[in-house]
Amino acid sequence: MIYRVISKPEFRSFIDALVQANSSFGPRRVDTAANGDPVYQFMPVGSADDIEFDYTTTASSAKHFFLPFSEELSRFCFHERDWEQKISYEAQPVVLIGLRACDISALNILDDVLLKGNYPSPYYLAKRKNTFVIGMDHLPLPGCFCKSLAHHTVSTGFNLFCSDIGEKYYLSINSSKAFNYLKDFQTEEPSYEDNCLLTERRKLISRSFQTEVDVTSLPSILDIEFDSPVWEKWGTKCLNCGTCAMVCPSCYCYSVEERFDIDLKGASRNRKLYSCNLVDFAVVAGGHNFRPKNGDRLKYRYYHQHRGFAENGNQQICVGCNRCGRACLAGINPRDVINDLRMEKDSCMICVSQSPGRT
Amino acid sequence: MKNPVYTFEKLKFASFEFTCCEGCQLQLANREASLEAFFSLLDVRTFREISSEKHDDYDIAFVEGSISRSDEIERLLAIRRQAKTLVAFGTCACFGGVNSLKNRFPIKESIAEVYDGLPVETLPVRKISDIVKVDLSIPGCPVAKEEIERIVVNLVTGSLPAMPKYPVCVECKERLNTCLFDLGEICLGPVTRAGCSAVCTSGKTPCLGCRGPAEDSNFPAFMELVKERGLSRRDLQEKLGFYNAFEAYTVHET
Amino acid sequence: MHDMRFAIPRQDLNREAFASSVPDFNRKSEIMKTDTGYKCRITNIISLTDQEMLFQLRIADPRERSIFRFKPGQFLMLELPGYGDVPISISSSNSNHEFIELCIRNAGHVTSALFRTEPGMHVAIRGPFGSSFPMDEMAGHHVLLIAGGLGIAPLRAPLFWINEHRDRFREVHLLYGAREPSQLLFSYQFEEWKAISHIQLHTIVEQAGPEWKGETGMITRLFDNVSIEAQNTYAIVCGPPVMFKFVCSHLDRLGIPMNRMFVSLERRMHCGMGKCCRCMVGSTFTCIDGPVFDYWSVMNLKEAI
Repeated sequence: MIYRVISKPEFRSFIDALVQANSSFGPRRVDTAANGDPVYQFMPVGSADDIEFDYTTTASSAKHFFLPFSEELSRFCFHERDWEQKISYEAQPVVLIGLRACDISALNILDDVLLKGNYPSPYYLAKRKNTFVIGMDHLPLPGCFCKSLAHHTVSTGFNLFCSDIGEKYYLSINSSKAFNYLKDFQTEEPSYEDNCLLTERRKLISRSFQTEVDVTSLPSILDIEFDSPVWEKWGTKCLNCGTCAMVCPSCYCYSVEERFDIDLKGASRNRKLYSCNLVDFAVVAGGHNFRPKNGDRLKYRYYHQHRGFAENGNQQICVGCNRCGRACLAGINPRDVINDLRMEKDSCMICVSQSPGRT
Repeated sequence: MKNPVYTFEKLKFASFEFTCCEGCQLQLANREASLEAFFSLLDVRTFREISSEKHDDYDIAFVEGSISRSDEIERLLAIRRQAKTLVAFGTCACFGGVNSLKNRFPIKESIAEVYDGLPVETLPVRKISDIVKVDLSIPGCPVAKEEIERIVVNLVTGSLPAMPKYPVCVECKERLNTCLFDLGEICLGPVTRAGCSAVCTSGKTPCLGCRGPAEDSNFPAFMELVKERGLSRRDLQEKLGFYNAFEAYTVHET
Repeated sequence: MHDMRFAIPRQDLNREAFASSVPDFNRKSEIMKTDTGYKCRITNIISLTDQEMLFQLRIADPRERSIFRFKPGQFLMLELPGYGDVPISISSSNSNHEFIELCIRNAGHVTSALFRTEPGMHVAIRGPFGSSFPMDEMAGHHVLLIAGGLGIAPLRAPLFWINEHRDRFREVHLLYGAREPSQLLFSYQFEEWKAISHIQLHTIVEQAGPEWKGETGMITRLFDNVSIEAQNTYAIVCGPPVMFKFVCSHLDRLGIPMNRMFVSLERRMHCGMGKCCRCMVGSTFTCIDGPVFDYWSVMNLKEAI
């Protein structure tokens, strides 16, 4: 990692040059919510002026640049009593500007899940490698709890990370490409003051979190509380709409569908991002549904997010961005669900501690 | 047919209309780019909108519209006798559709209001499955041509003509739309079956549920949500009743 | 000024390593096909019952055929282009490098399309995927193979193995139950198994007409006919989930250690690679951690059976 500082006007001209030469996406204000809050999304940008550098967070994550909502995995072409299978792993180069630390952490988690193990995904790899990621730090929104999961800072998985230190951005340069691009722009070695400002900035961010979620031994609690009434309780609220998984930066479950082209000369095999909350996620041949109840499906999302699976080293895949919590119409959010689960546990602990022997 | 590996037969196809605007059938002639390929899957025996020829030897019948006259019942029964597969095509056929609004008033009142007292025979509106057995329902006001193409291909190739079981929210989120609830609207997206590519909500028009309920919708939770957002039960009933697609829920909840 | 167009030529995908270091996926997928399937010719289709057929496949490319290997208990994804793919456990001997046999039940839209195929057509297979039965570990012991209905399909691979290495095993019992006599699959092989493989075969059906001379009832009744030395026995149980519960708890009472009872779980895999999460049971993927689990693991899996 190489560190530099850049003045804000110079940074804008850097971004301008980058954006004009590439297909680029950055945070743009798309709407104003009824309560007056701005709504942001990663949208195509044509110049630095299009980008809201001081945005809060996007409603949907940047996941779909790497794992499209729908993607063709392979194509069959039929000819002369036979067929041929064609696969393309190519991806168009994309510049992504303004990802938050938690968003980049989510990409690192997806890297673990999709690029490690016996079956790394070339589809994902192509997109990941062909995306230039510029991160930016930000002050948390009231619901953000990435600090509880130690994802409020990030040290890998990006090309360039920018911390706002007032007049300047403090740049963490993590790729030769980013370093080369910046050669044409005026940057400086960070001074003692710059370093102090960065530390201050980090402290400020760290201090600003209003939501804390206690995740210690959560995997074990999730195992023990598998049959907890908490799931039923939140399940009755759940609309089964899948919104949480769609906006989540790390939900990656999918479904594979195949269909003939309209002219019947070919067929395509497609992947579609799915959600464990959707009603038919666990349906098997013959129609049996292993998770017929809302509560079961909701539990599985939490199980996957916070218990983790063997495939990715049992690590929790939630990064604490609270996008699901903000988007959920039924008001289901990780903080409340996890606290509820903990309360269940705690109330049990009270009985235990009231047993004889307690002073 | 054209696929060199498998042998497929064209569908002996007929299309019929009852009480409706014929807009769904018009969709069959939409999407010019794939129109030729689409019609080469069909052996059109009867289809008033595109052909003056009329043959009665069809296997599959698309039926658009709802039933509101006794002669329509006769015609529908005849179609059922001939068709191996009868498809309720569009929201009117599947649920009654907008036409069902009539059922809220006494028949006499409707006739007086609409036909100015002319002697007209009209019955309360019924959906196709109230009269005959329906093999496949394709809802939509109008139907989505892309989905029709897929279903027709599935019927030709003998695959499963499946529709999404999940609600519109999934497709709406795919299009990065701002949730209309956040913009202060009441949208039926969370309880309505997807498959429309969230076309209305992408244009910032709240969903009115033309595709009917998603599978295993959590209706009580939706009612709770709507109440919280300040919409009266009556207004919600109004929305749910628009296409008559949530009949089971409206009857149950009032 | 630098050319700021951000583009990495395709061949350079691995060069700009700002993301995590990446395993050599090309080499892996060369050995174990994951996205591209092995093209196979359907060489024979044998109708077993009105609902089940045995498909015999031959990998078309000789080089691919020579590298395709699997272990008893593993499954593959069988792809019928245009219709989709389905997870199917391999029913043939893993020493047969010429042909692969798959026993398929007409249960969904892909399988029903498969039932309309003819010998000579081409399908694709991806895999093999998943865990296998520990045949080496089982050597030197008595073996109880217990199958219910279509559960005989995944059991056929270990049966072939035992047949080919018969001297390594002690007593071998096959307990096989079906709903009715006509649904006993592979009945044409029963005599061969008994006579050549020295397998003690016990069959039972739930209901039968007067022409049925064998046993009727639940599969657990067959245990009355078998005397086993529990401490020296391995068991493999395949069948519908309800059967696992009864049979495994019965075996448990007999004293067979839980880590010597193996079951093959069934879920609807979409990818086979532990990525799509459709087949997860508890925190475990049926496709990579399974489908073969020992009963101890299954007991510890939430929602397993």
